[in-house]
Amino acid sequence: MPTLPPPVREPAWPLSRSAIGLWVTEGVLGTLVIGLAAAVFLLVVPASVGGPVPVLRWLLPGLALAYAVLAIGVRPWVRFRVHHWEVTGEAVYTLTGWLTRTWLLVPISRIQTVDVTRGVLQQLFGLASVSVLTASSAGTVHVPHLAVDVAQRVADDLAHRAEQVRDQAT
Amino acid sequence: MTTLSATGARRTSPLIVLLHTITFRQARQFVPLVIGIAATVGYRGGTTTVVALVVGVTVLSLVTALITWWRFSYTDGPSSVVVTRGLLSRSERTVPNDRIRGVEVEAPALHRVFGLVRVRIDAAAGGLTRKDHDEELVVDGVTRAEGDRLRISVLTHRSTGAPVADHAEAPEPAEVEFARFDNRWLLYAPLVGSYLALPLAAAGALYRVIDDLRNSLLPQLAGPFLRDPRSLGLLAAVALVLLLVGSVVGAALVNWGFRLVRRGGSLIAVRGLITRRHTELEIDRIRGATVTAGLGMRLVAAARTNALVTGLGDAGRRGQLLPLGPRSEAWRLARRLVEDPGPLTTHPPAARRRRLTRALFPGIVVTVAGLIATAADGWWELLVAGPALVAMGVPAGLGRYAALGHATGPRSFAVRSGWLVQEHALLQRRAVVGWRVRQTLFQRRAGLATVVACVGAGSGGYAAVDLGAGDIAAFTAAASESWAATLSRPAS
Repeated sequence: MPTLPPPVREPAWPLSRSAIGLWVTEGVLGTLVIGLAAAVFLLVVPASVGGPVPVLRWLLPGLALAYAVLAIGVRPWVRFRVHHWEVTGEAVYTLTGWLTRTWLLVPISRIQTVDVTRGVLQQLFGLASVSVLTASSAGTVHVPHLAVDVAQRVADDLAHRAEQVRDQAT
Repeated sequence: MTTLSATGARRTSPLIVLLHTITFRQARQFVPLVIGIAATVGYRGGTTTVVALVVGVTVLSLVTALITWWRFSYTDGPSSVVVTRGLLSRSERTVPNDRIRGVEVEAPALHRVFGLVRVRIDAAAGGLTRKDHDEELVVDGVTRAEGDRLRISVLTHRSTGAPVADHAEAPEPAEVEFARFDNRWLLYAPLVGSYLALPLAAAGALYRVIDDLRNSLLPQLAGPFLRDPRSLGLLAAVALVLLLVGSVVGAALVNWGFRLVRRGGSLIAVRGLITRRHTELEIDRIRGATVTAGLGMRLVAAARTNALVTGLGDAGRRGQLLPLGPRSEAWRLARRLVEDPGPLTTHPPAARRRRLTRALFPGIVVTVAGLIATAADGWWELLVAGPALVAMGVPAGLGRYAALGHATGPRSFAVRSGWLVQEHALLQRRAVVGWRVRQTLFQRRAGLATVVACVGAGSGGYAAVDLGAGDIAAFTAAASESWAATLSRPAS
């Protein structure tokens, strides 16, 4: 696969390293749900039903295993390497995703509200997310999984600066 | 009503009670209940039961309408509009004047009989609640004069922020006509999907009614009549003609007498045959315009124009500047609002490969599945459908690629995409509130990326699909203000 340069530059700052722990936990939880579903299938549907069932009895556990490897062993690290964020003098800039990458740039002058959210899992890992909302439904920036104090500081700083440079052209 | 002060609570006209009684507006929720009662009691009582039912429903409707009218009041104060209502749980909604984005005065047919109008005050907030109808205050049933007073009062308070005395309305500035609907344009209606859907919806409603009656009242049509291919063909032809005529009639009902005028700082659109709608858009809030045309419309050089207005709820309908018309007219209107950045630049050849691959993929999957099915089961139907899908995918893919384009000008930019419905968006530079660049695994290998201009108007985002990855930074820098340079400037 040729290594083409990314379409735009990468934001500079990585997320908190604890995010890896959180993503692994999410992967484990997802695996448990899928594993449970596969186990129920194996117990409830006997192989004697015929049709595609004998194939499915092998396929489903295999898929569950593959998901476990991807979601626990691979995805958290790829995500951590991809996800970056940055606050410059004029804008908030993020890069998210693991297969499909999304860069999002929002100028501070067009910020309408800044939210800090802490999910249940995030609280366990001492993390918080910052959401920056604009007038556009497509222009909402999520900076996931920052250390709580960093998130709070960033949100306060952004809200303060948005207040000062806000222009009327929403 | 004129005796009340500008800050006092106002009521709607008592005539609205009569109107809502007739239309069972509030009593509609009881209809299933009434039907249930009627079903259990049965029609054995004959006329007496029917009369009792009719009287009962009318009284119920009158009472509910009366209560609604009695408990409803509104106030258009200097800083906000307050609507109070509700019998048991009083609800009072206050909308600050600076959040009001537009006022719409509409007069459905029955309202016109009573000389009443319905006023919708649009107070759409930011991007997340765009579809939320709670962001709208409805004052149903005021006189035409009061409706106009309310509209002007709300709009003046908003723009000046100062209280304005009721009678001291500024003289209405002169009108400049922007567009006037030519009834010949109604003939384009059968080529527009949304107008074609109108008679289908009507047919659906009719079918449900007939379905209820079928067993007892309908003549027996089925049988030999439906098996004759000639009568079937006739039936299809009649249905087709009805569909075409229905779409024209539907378009006429909605768009009759469409007129777009500029009065002071607002664009005012008036239209409708049975329900007259009066929509006001502030020119200052216009951030762009779209010219859209479906496949059929492009064949006859027709198009429609929408204005992209910030914070406008129900943007697809309210932003319409030209509901239907020749392409030249659509473009003349769009260019009057937004500077045209000039001819479009085509996207790289890799984009054509990607469009083609995506258009052919379903056909290829079906073909492969068909091969397997034929080999395994002798089930050949799928094998026929596959190549047909592939053949259709070729013009679709090429058409989608041909639609792609972007352009930047000194004060505006443009993006175009779509094949079944092609949308050409002209946007002002200041409209952009963010850039979203997306690159899938396949786009990464092809050296492409999609960039979406986030806009606080219209659909919220306008995409340049499959731009060359290397052109993105230049495009964003040229299409928005200095902050976009963050995308290319090395980290400081």
